[in-house]
Amino acid sequence: MCVDPETLDLARWQFALTAGGHFLFVALTLGLAGVVACIQTCAVVSGASVHQRMVRFWGQLYVVNYAVGIVTGIVMEFQFGMAWSGLGHYAGGLFGASLAMETVVAFFIESTFLGMWIFGWNRFNKWVHLGLLWVVTLTAYMSAYWILITNGFLNNPVGYRSSSSGSSGSSHGSGIELADTLAVLTNPSALLAFFHILGGALLTAAVFMAGVSAYHLFRRSPEHELFRKSLRTGVFTSVPALFLTAAVGGVQLGSLSGIQPMKAAVFAGKESTIARLQAELAAQFGPGDYVPSTALTRGGAVVMLAVFALLLYVCLPGAVLACFRKAVYRFRAWHVLLMVMVPLPYVAMTAGWVFREAGRQPWVVQGLLKTEDAVSQLSAGEMRTSLAVFGTLFTLLVTVNWWLLLRTAARGPDDPALGRDERDSATDGATGGDADGGPGGGPDDGARRPVWSL
Amino acid sequence: MSQTVLETLAVALLSFFTVGYFVLGGADLGLGMVLPYLGRGPYERRLVLDAVVPFFLGNEVWLIAAAGVFTGCFPAYEGELFQGQFMVLVPLLTGWMVRDTGLWWRRNGGSAGRHILADGLVTGGSWTVALSWGWLLAGLAGGTPEQLTGGPLVVLAVPAVAALFAAHGLAFGAVRLTGKPWERARRMTGCGGHGGRVGCSRPTLALTAVAMAALPLVAGARLPLAESAVTGPVLGLLVPALLVMTPLLVAAQVWMWRALSGRSAAPRFM
Repeated sequence: MCVDPETLDLARWQFALTAGGHFLFVALTLGLAGVVACIQTCAVVSGASVHQRMVRFWGQLYVVNYAVGIVTGIVMEFQFGMAWSGLGHYAGGLFGASLAMETVVAFFIESTFLGMWIFGWNRFNKWVHLGLLWVVTLTAYMSAYWILITNGFLNNPVGYRSSSSGSSGSSHGSGIELADTLAVLTNPSALLAFFHILGGALLTAAVFMAGVSAYHLFRRSPEHELFRKSLRTGVFTSVPALFLTAAVGGVQLGSLSGIQPMKAAVFAGKESTIARLQAELAAQFGPGDYVPSTALTRGGAVVMLAVFALLLYVCLPGAVLACFRKAVYRFRAWHVLLMVMVPLPYVAMTAGWVFREAGRQPWVVQGLLKTEDAVSQLSAGEMRTSLAVFGTLFTLLVTVNWWLLLRTAARGPDDPALGRDERDSATDGATGGDADGGPGGGPDDGARRPVWSL
Repeated sequence: MSQTVLETLAVALLSFFTVGYFVLGGADLGLGMVLPYLGRGPYERRLVLDAVVPFFLGNEVWLIAAAGVFTGCFPAYEGELFQGQFMVLVPLLTGWMVRDTGLWWRRNGGSAGRHILADGLVTGGSWTVALSWGWLLAGLAGGTPEQLTGGPLVVLAVPAVAALFAAHGLAFGAVRLTGKPWERARRMTGCGGHGGRVGCSRPTLALTAVAMAALPLVAGARLPLAESAVTGPVLGLLVPALLVMTPLLVAAQVWMWRALSGRSAAPRFM
């Protein structure tokens, strides 16, 4: 089976751009979810107005960001079948199950509860409303776990056996099927990546919070109490997040030579090892190029590590500075530095993914299935159309929504859309003739529910 | 459980989530299609979208779950089908993303111009999704789902399916809306006007819902699903897990609808 090489390149570009674009939003969503859930817990327990306003302000940014994450995630789910149907043919017996678990066990609940959290703001008891956000947060992490089980299997296939019939009874050619569930669910390549990403996402959110708060303190916003607390939350969270990310990342790097020796050799730049592995792989799998792109593999890793060092030099002294109220209010150079840092975790995370995914080439399932054998039988023209459509759409979405996010952030905590009680403002906006409800349309039953006005 | 029982259950789960999407997600898409007719002017359009907004996340997730079940239980066939219907899925997903973007932007405030643009995205996106579904379902029903379908079946199915989506949206509007948009929706579903009968809206919605539910079941009836199910080791774990989760998902959805429904004369969610 031979696919047009252009189709393969275009399909890879499409996957890289859509996955990268999607993850820009996932990173902040995952991190901010936990932080906002903690702030809302404080708000419910303390009842302090400043905490409640913090929930609405940071929650609004979380929702704006989340929306694009969901929209871009739609393409991700369908793309496997559309552009990479060979993967389902060969490894579907294993690979699809974790995706199914992600949608049904995690995302379904996450999405339903997120809708209730956003739109049920003044309609639930405050403890129930808090519980909704915690469910959203936990299912979001569960979602990340299942996705990384899928990705971990691609990087380090475990718990499978070959099946002559392929992944399904009527399928053509050979494939693999599940042999050891526990091995798949505890795949170190998935678990380590999960905690690495958990730390990275928390770091992204912490740096984002610190940067946005610094902007408002720099401009001497009247909301100084809210942003002082927020800046401290961000800066103090960034340090443990950074160490968690680095520690798990270190363990991952250490285990790499056992799991993916070629990736490790390219990363370390050991020419002799690369040549030896290339000869071994060619002898085992037939002639071909088994060396991933040095520029992407090494480049990705170096950028990731360099950004980590930069963040370390800013976050560690920052945690000391943040202890002094005067510095939090007046140290304007530090404010600027914190604002400038906001993009850095995104750069590190994207570079990390490039290292992980490009370094696995030419394999889509390490040592089992080559990327060129997984791509769908599509013409270059079809693939070009879809790349043009999704590429344009993603670029527009990413641009417009970052603009929206920054504008919402810059506007400050003065009555964000999230948690605004539309029933108060809407009654005077209603024009004549709108009050006649239908036979089944009773009065607004929302008014009878417990109201938690922020 | 034997492989045959598991295969049947897997097909039932896929059908259940797909039907859930057509009935629930179809209602908000349909309402988006008829938005310019029901809502004349920015305030009325806000009223109409207010009936959709608290539920659309919970509605569209049924299709995400259906696609997940499809990938998990029938991975090889999913690949074949999605690859074959590639050029239909591109506009379907595009329309879906555009519709959602419109809804989020509409909620985030902004100028009157931005509202008009957002309303346009909702309507345009909803139409694109409904028309694409017509083409996709024609492909499934036509007997060659592994390749792109053309011919008279598509010419017939595309407008018919889009009309059913719009009718379902109108019926949903006749139950959920108030004021002028409500009157227009009732008139279009044949329940309004001077001769309009009381208590006609809900049966009409039940009727369009049944038609929407039947749509994917009829179109997909001939798909070779059971024989392309994944092998025992995965199916034996996946199907019971999905079966345990499904009642919880349904309960969460019932809670959402109970907590956020109810009609009001003024927008409450955006």
